[in-house]
Amino acid sequence: MISLSSVDRAQAFRYMGHRGDPDAQMLKTADFCEKRLLAASRPRYVYLVTPLRFTDAGVICEGTALTLTGHDIAAHLQGCSRVILLCATLSAGADTAIRMASAEDVLAGMMTDAMASALTEQLCDAAEEEILANFAGFYATWRFSPGYGDLPLETQGDFLRTLNAEKRLGVTLSPGGLCIPTKTVTAIIGLSDKPVPKGKRGCAVCNLRTTCPYRAKGAHCK
Amino acid sequence: MLQARGLQLGGVPELWNLEKPEEITAIHRAYVEAGADAVYSNTFGANRLKMARTGHTVQELIPAAIQNARNSGAKYVALDIGPIGHMLEPTGTLPFEEAYDIFREEIEAGKDADLIVFETMSDLLEVRAGLLAARDAAPEKPVFVTMSFEENGRTFTGCSISSMALTLEGLGADAIGVNCSLGPEELVPIVEELCKWTTLPVIVKPNAGLPDPVTNAYNFTPEKFGVCMQKFVKLGAVILGGCCGTTPGHIRAVREMLQTQTVVERHPVIPAAVCSANQTVIIDQPRIIGERINPTGKKRFKQALIEHDIDYILGQAIQQIDAGADILDVNVGLPDIDETEMMVSAVKAIQGITDTPLQLDTTDAKALEAGLRIYNGKPIVNSVNGEEESMQKVLPLVRKYGAAVVGLTLDKNGIPKTADGRFEIAKRILDRALSLGIRREDVFIDCLTLTASAEQAGVMETLKAVSRVKNELGLRTVLGVSNISFGLPSRELVTRNFLTMALYAGLDLPIINPNTESMTSAVRTYKLLANIDKNAVDFIAHYGAETTPAPAAKPASSGMTLGAAISAGLRSEAAALTKSMLADTEAMVIVNEHLIPALDAAGAEFEKGKIFLPQLISAASAAQGAFEEIKTYLSEHSDGTVNRGTIVLATVKGDIHDIGKNIVKILLENYGYQVIDLGKDVPYEDVVKATEQYHAPLVGLSALMTTTLPSMEGTIKLLRERCPWCQTVVGGAVLTPDYAEKIGADYYAKDAKETVDIAKRVFQN
Repeated sequence: MISLSSVDRAQAFRYMGHRGDPDAQMLKTADFCEKRLLAASRPRYVYLVTPLRFTDAGVICEGTALTLTGHDIAAHLQGCSRVILLCATLSAGADTAIRMASAEDVLAGMMTDAMASALTEQLCDAAEEEILANFAGFYATWRFSPGYGDLPLETQGDFLRTLNAEKRLGVTLSPGGLCIPTKTVTAIIGLSDKPVPKGKRGCAVCNLRTTCPYRAKGAHCK
Repeated sequence: MLQARGLQLGGVPELWNLEKPEEITAIHRAYVEAGADAVYSNTFGANRLKMARTGHTVQELIPAAIQNARNSGAKYVALDIGPIGHMLEPTGTLPFEEAYDIFREEIEAGKDADLIVFETMSDLLEVRAGLLAARDAAPEKPVFVTMSFEENGRTFTGCSISSMALTLEGLGADAIGVNCSLGPEELVPIVEELCKWTTLPVIVKPNAGLPDPVTNAYNFTPEKFGVCMQKFVKLGAVILGGCCGTTPGHIRAVREMLQTQTVVERHPVIPAAVCSANQTVIIDQPRIIGERINPTGKKRFKQALIEHDIDYILGQAIQQIDAGADILDVNVGLPDIDETEMMVSAVKAIQGITDTPLQLDTTDAKALEAGLRIYNGKPIVNSVNGEEESMQKVLPLVRKYGAAVVGLTLDKNGIPKTADGRFEIAKRILDRALSLGIRREDVFIDCLTLTASAEQAGVMETLKAVSRVKNELGLRTVLGVSNISFGLPSRELVTRNFLTMALYAGLDLPIINPNTESMTSAVRTYKLLANIDKNAVDFIAHYGAETTPAPAAKPASSGMTLGAAISAGLRSEAAALTKSMLADTEAMVIVNEHLIPALDAAGAEFEKGKIFLPQLISAASAAQGAFEEIKTYLSEHSDGTVNRGTIVLATVKGDIHDIGKNIVKILLENYGYQVIDLGKDVPYEDVVKATEQYHAPLVGLSALMTTTLPSMEGTIKLLRERCPWCQTVVGGAVLTPDYAEKIGADYYAKDAKETVDIAKRVFQN
């Protein structure tokens, strides 16, 4: 399994809406939050690779009960023969660390949350790298998630069931359709034997699109 | 097996009970023919939430599944129950009582099964709900529980093996064990550990090895599986089976292996211990019980209870844990508040942020039972005493919920003057507890500290009683020590020395204020001198860095002003400065002339883009430190509080993001508003009720997901109907001013700072 030894602080500070160099006080809080978050998190992932079939009803992940609907996912997977279905989580411990930090101090709570988001992205990057090592010679698309574009967020339920994510990873859905533990990402990565257009990963497909302080101000992070 | 017969990944296996019953029976039969004594019904996910999308009910699916299993000719048919699929509060949003109902419905639908099995469980709290439901709905039926552990000996939610064993044996499971997640080789150390912690029959159901990362095929042949399973027989496990990837061939191999084995008897000695789901505290040495979560004599705490200020209680919890508490006493009783509700809220909230086990301290049986019901782990009950009525009221609850209990050595005649008298009461409590089936190790005796100033001769009697209870009855002892010095000068000196004497007399569980360093250090020093803290590891870890005596805390010196401390985000400095200012400055003057201007300045800098959100929050956090000092001062010195107006805040139903709302809350509080924080995922009705109760002129609602915006609209609509006097302010990343207007909100706030501006306008202050 993947072990992550540090948080991408630059990313975490960006998520918080911080620009420039953090001062000593901020760094002290960051040290404290990072240490506890890393101790509490247990990063892990599961994945499944299936062949794809493109139909009018959507893209079918063969051998599973999962159908991906909408134009955006079809465009994303255009030219791909197979798909990697990935679910990665920091586990319930990260949520406890965020709750504890929030109860102690509002800044620590916000910072732990942002750090956990950054760490989740790091986990996805590392997971993707490990998985793709098994697929030398293939080209991979970027990570697309249920809820991006016109792929309904409701896909999440079938997605997690297909991966048996509850049993294998401890990931469940809230009645509102959110992943619990909250620092969890589901992603769809297309595999093609020909180069795939990289496409643009803008705000609409960012995992932080709902909570991003830049976006709230109508700006971008980079 | 189902997939081999055509079930798709992600398909619903439970539906086959109705659609392909003969296939299900054939699979059961294959295992029976391989030598299985019991088969689990195909009902792992057959609960009302998971089945909602299938169009079939629990009452259709479960009886059919039991019948399919029965048709296989199995000796025993077990009703199989897996996790609900929604996490319970506080990790998720499912309330405990709803989980209980869901399980109860499954158990009632499966009444024709011979036994009940909970398997692949990860969350101990969820298991507790299931086990309680099983005990209530089918008291005569055996209940087995297996949880799934990873190689680090924890479940996905962090539950440890010892916590599982202590909690489930206490709650009355008939057999416990492990299933899934790992193969037989990896499970050996986990089963070994489990066997140390339970006297119950142990169950082992591993996967057929580990899955191949690409093909997901399991790597153990039946032969290899059978050989490996022998290890569990040697460890003393008596119920064996297989989970993912195990075929009838694997079970046959186990059956054949068993014919060559004899049962190994286990005689584990389970230590005295209490736990949360993730942390077990063994009472094999002095352990500190923190006493600060208790309103007695604390006006600030009382005020927090009246205002339902759970954050204040959490602050008290964290402070004590950081100072060295091993267990926290929780007493939230106060006339005029609903103690039962408060006990439940406090226990849930504390367990949501920390793993430290709790001691539930109440004289109200209803509050006690409510706390015991939702407590995740094995708590201590504080307390029972030697009176018949008390024993009849408290001990059955202790037994039912598998807790430990503190017995006070007093009865209707009061506290006996002599050690002998207290010893007799201890014995009476112990005998009654044992007769009810409570373990000796779970009875802790409090020989009661009397004040040295009033009853000087009694001091040594208390200590004698401690020794006798410890040595002659073999019980763990508890003592609240602070009382010893009441009415004397230099209280700390007296208390600390009494504490050391009591530890030497055999005290295991001192109830103290761990924030008082001289108390905590007395315990650490005792452990060093008594050769408990081997090689002084813990002692050196705490005091090794001190080369010179620590300088006395400077009164936030260095000429810094409160405003500067706030803008620099220096919380402890801000608090210390406020404390010293309170000696000669009116509280409201500090608020109006120092605190608020500093925050205004930070807010202005933020708006201009000179500082960013983290710095603004940092300033707010420092101001919070200052404000807490003011609140404490006011509650001690007058009945007055700072209240510029009452505002109800909530993250709307369905949404569980509350970081943004918490920032708004802190800033509003810093400006002197009373914030009633309802938390996250708040039902419409709860917002309305709070608004009615406090007659709040302003309600703030937050939502971070597009999917939860309709909840915001729904809440506003209900507020309009029922609380026409109130105005609403909404915020959250996905909101826009246009959308806020469309859903009928009075104000849109783009950030926490703007919410304060709106509050000022609404309250005209």
